[in-house]
Amino acid sequence: MDWGTVWDSVPLIWKGAGATLKMFAWALVIGTAGAFALSLMRLSASKPLQWFAIGFGWLFRGIPLLILLFFAFFALPELGILFSPVVAAIVGFSLWTAAYQAEVIRSGIIAVPPGQSEAAEALGMTRAHYMRRIVIPQGVRIMMPPYTGNAITLLKQTSLATLVTVPEMALLTQRIFSNNFQFIEPIFVLGMIYLGMTTVLLILSAGVEHAFRLRV
Amino acid sequence: MDALVTVSGLHKSYGDLEVLKGIDFEVARGEVVAIIGPSGSGKTTMLRCINLLEEPTGGRIVVDGRIVCDQAEDGSMHFADKGEVREIREEIGMVFQRFNLFPHMTALANITEAPRSVKGMSKSDANDLGMELLDSVGLANKADAYPLQLSGGQQQRVAIARALAMEPALMLFDEVTSAVDPELAGEILLVMKRLAQQGMTMLVVTHEMSFAADVADRVLFMDHGVIVEQGPARDLLTNPQNPRTRAFLHAVLDRAPMTEDDDSITAEEVGFGGADLFSEQAPVEPESGADDG
Repeated sequence: MDWGTVWDSVPLIWKGAGATLKMFAWALVIGTAGAFALSLMRLSASKPLQWFAIGFGWLFRGIPLLILLFFAFFALPELGILFSPVVAAIVGFSLWTAAYQAEVIRSGIIAVPPGQSEAAEALGMTRAHYMRRIVIPQGVRIMMPPYTGNAITLLKQTSLATLVTVPEMALLTQRIFSNNFQFIEPIFVLGMIYLGMTTVLLILSAGVEHAFRLRV
Repeated sequence: MDALVTVSGLHKSYGDLEVLKGIDFEVARGEVVAIIGPSGSGKTTMLRCINLLEEPTGGRIVVDGRIVCDQAEDGSMHFADKGEVREIREEIGMVFQRFNLFPHMTALANITEAPRSVKGMSKSDANDLGMELLDSVGLANKADAYPLQLSGGQQQRVAIARALAMEPALMLFDEVTSAVDPELAGEILLVMKRLAQQGMTMLVVTHEMSFAADVADRVLFMDHGVIVEQGPARDLLTNPQNPRTRAFLHAVLDRAPMTEDDDSITAEEVGFGGADLFSEQAPVEPESGADDG
């Protein structure tokens, strides 16, 4: 491995970090909001809402993420919905994130002992209030590790956006392949950048877990 | 009598399993009623029907003039609507076997959460009330402790203070000493005894026969989903009429029914200065809890 080539590759690949992080951040925010909504639908008393949530999870966890991206980028324009590559990718990643994180959030909520909501109900609190103040804060501690796992997967999966022409890090890496016929150095650099980003995510997640820890 | 609680024809089934088979009783304002009986007799289910944590499948419950549930001629059940249920629950404090304190909140925050959110009390008023209540259960110095840093006895005393913060007209106690070490039960019972002396109306499901004898005005003995026998505490516990009551008391007391002189709880017996518990001084700590966090 030629370290000079490694250093030369860094700025070329890093130019795609903006697109990578943009897709990741938007998909995580939109997807998590959707996941919360889906998990509350799944736990609601309404059968239609339950079935919607179940159907959503079945569909978007059951087909490959790549197909979601292809659909948003190539198929929707034929239906008259035209997205830029980045937006199409964000749509696909958000659907994926909502479907996976909904399961994580739901299992976090149901892992909170029923005595907690009973005590809150017995005190006269509304469901909306005790979900927000009592149940979800306790669920966050439980859901954080699998939530982080999915978030890390999402970050790495943004490299699939290469295939819908988003100029993110993996696409720029391939550009080095074809322009300079250098492979090992750019691949090494790309891997290190992803590893750095996922490490930051793990640290942030540990911080959130710590903030929500139970004092014993 | 001025009935605060009226329960009539109460039934509860889970599918084919009939847990309550027609329960009738009244609780007068200021009365302390103990409910005893073997496990599986329906005591807890009956208690949970009163604030609708369980929905009865038959019968009528009225609390403080409000209809909790009622059964129509055709057998269909009618429950108070959501808003009414919340109003009824404000009137009814409940203390659970397993405390059910909110583990992510301090002792004080556990107490102030409902007054602030349900009654709209200001933070400073709620904190004043919370500190007063913590002081009354002997835990003024544990305001900032988290539940898991407290002993079982301390947690249950916080749970009682939390229920009292809503200024309920009725308190329900569901085997509140069953999940704590036996030597810590006394500190909980002492708080309850004090509450009874202050005139609180209390419905107490318990296995503590000496507490029932000492504090309750009336005892209900339940078995297999019915009230088998009821009467003044002393009469029922010392001279039960029904053979099932006699057999139960014999089993739990491991001997003949109680005699007249072995039934009172004193501070000395529970192992700490009960007189100090409610005084202005720093309370005596009966056991070593975890350190303050």
